[in-house]
Amino acid sequence: MSKKAKDNLWGWIFVLPSFLTLVVFIVIPIIRSFYYSLTEYSVLSSPKFIGIQNYIAAFQDPFVQASLKNTFIYVLITVPMQTILSMIIAAVIAMKFQNRYGRFVKACMFIPVISSSVLVGTLFTLLFDTDKGIVNSVLAVFGVDAINWLGQSSTALVTVCIAAIWKNVGYFLVIFYAGLMDIPTSYYEAAKVDGAGKIRQFFSITLPCLRPITYLVLTLGIIWSFQAFDMVYAMTQGGPGKSTYTLVYTIYNAAFREYRMGYACAVALILFVFILVVNNVQRLFFGDKED
Amino acid sequence: MVDVNKSLSNRVLNTVLGILLALIAVIACFPFVYMMLLSFTNSTSLRFSLSDVVFDFANYKDVFERTNFLIPLKNSIIVSICTCLLNCVLCSMAAYALEKKRFKGSKLVFAIYMATLAVPGQVTMIPIFLMMRDMGLMNSYIALILPACDAFGVFLVKQFMSSVPDELLEAAQIDGAGEVYRFVKIVLPLIMPALVSLTVFTFISAWNNFLWPLVICTDSDMQTLTVALSLLKGKFETNYGLVMAGSALTFIAPFLLYAFLQKQFVEGIALSGVKG
Repeated sequence: MSKKAKDNLWGWIFVLPSFLTLVVFIVIPIIRSFYYSLTEYSVLSSPKFIGIQNYIAAFQDPFVQASLKNTFIYVLITVPMQTILSMIIAAVIAMKFQNRYGRFVKACMFIPVISSSVLVGTLFTLLFDTDKGIVNSVLAVFGVDAINWLGQSSTALVTVCIAAIWKNVGYFLVIFYAGLMDIPTSYYEAAKVDGAGKIRQFFSITLPCLRPITYLVLTLGIIWSFQAFDMVYAMTQGGPGKSTYTLVYTIYNAAFREYRMGYACAVALILFVFILVVNNVQRLFFGDKED
Repeated sequence: MVDVNKSLSNRVLNTVLGILLALIAVIACFPFVYMMLLSFTNSTSLRFSLSDVVFDFANYKDVFERTNFLIPLKNSIIVSICTCLLNCVLCSMAAYALEKKRFKGSKLVFAIYMATLAVPGQVTMIPIFLMMRDMGLMNSYIALILPACDAFGVFLVKQFMSSVPDELLEAAQIDGAGEVYRFVKIVLPLIMPALVSLTVFTFISAWNNFLWPLVICTDSDMQTLTVALSLLKGKFETNYGLVMAGSALTFIAPFLLYAFLQKQFVEGIALSGVKG
């Protein structure tokens, strides 16, 4: 056998186990998901083709509408907050504390990242408890009346957002910090020679250099927001009312509580399209010209 | 005089920033300290004084005795370890083929890997669920483990694979080393750092995974820790010590892993940034 033929054979042998799982668990399911989304499919009877009715129903579904509204608010709160916080903390550590202390702070902030969202949700439910939670106790010191954080629709979503920000900042901090370390120090030295102050340096060097990283952080932040589920499940179960419903929560409910598989697939594909759109819009504004 | 002022204000600024950072670190860690303390109290109050803290593990004993917490603990360990092993084997093999064997069709295969990266798990979840159900695989380890493999790991290892020198592989071939031998004895040791990062990342996502185990394992014997914790919270709502003991148990494994493999952790998770 020639070397080329041998490489062909062995190449396929090595790639096949992974490629088969990919095909079985991602490629085929996507195709089937698309097919199911055009059918009425409760688990008991076989799928019945109904065209795009699931999609029409989805956009009229009050739960989907609430989910979209909530996701929008969720993105507007969490994404700017976690991006700015993680960027500032990374910049402070990179500028002033490139020592053991800075590493310690980074290590502490990474602990929430490795814990599960269900755990974070459980902890924050206790911390934000109306009568006995620590947060209200601290606020009471400042004369603030007890707030029913998770029990009323005006604050429930904000509370989930706070938990999400708390969990995510450490992650994005690590990414921003790595980006800051990649900026050549000669840039800053040149700026210093030209008489640029620290603040001027931050806006003229640091921020532009962090552009691709910021793009990544924003995109990930938005995609994660669209996929929010675990924390909502652990903290509010979508309530009170529909105030913390998310798209994935709607999908979960439709598929595994109401057994409307076709409809759930349609909502999942809507989620997919939203993520693709966000990705591409972001790329327009932030992406490198080269790609 | 100006210089003295400047260095003084600089020092004040440094101190203020240092204190702010400390405050942020405390906010990041406090909930976990609170969890540990509460798990060692037998009060059913969230407000407790430090004198209530007794180190008698009563809550931990309770969790195991009253809820069979040992079963989800065992399941999570089995599922996470098997997922890691499987992912390492599949990803390193695929990455080797894609990077070192430019086989016929490899470009297309790679393009398919690329394309699947953008697909959120919620899209594939329902068809996989239906497939598993039709095959009678609900409530099985296979259903928990197999779907966890995806293209991300292949990318991670493939990037590292390019640093394996072709000359080394060719030299071994001339010496008569077979394909499998070269992969196991030459390639695998060289890509070990990438596999450690992949393992860390896979372990954390398998351990913390919630939605998939929630829907595919309805049997209490097959629950994983995250699902068990969410049920614990509902069942023993005001028995805070007990719920916190359960929470602490779910937290131990990732925390220990993090404590020992901090560097690989941060790298692995930072690399996972590519994953959507």
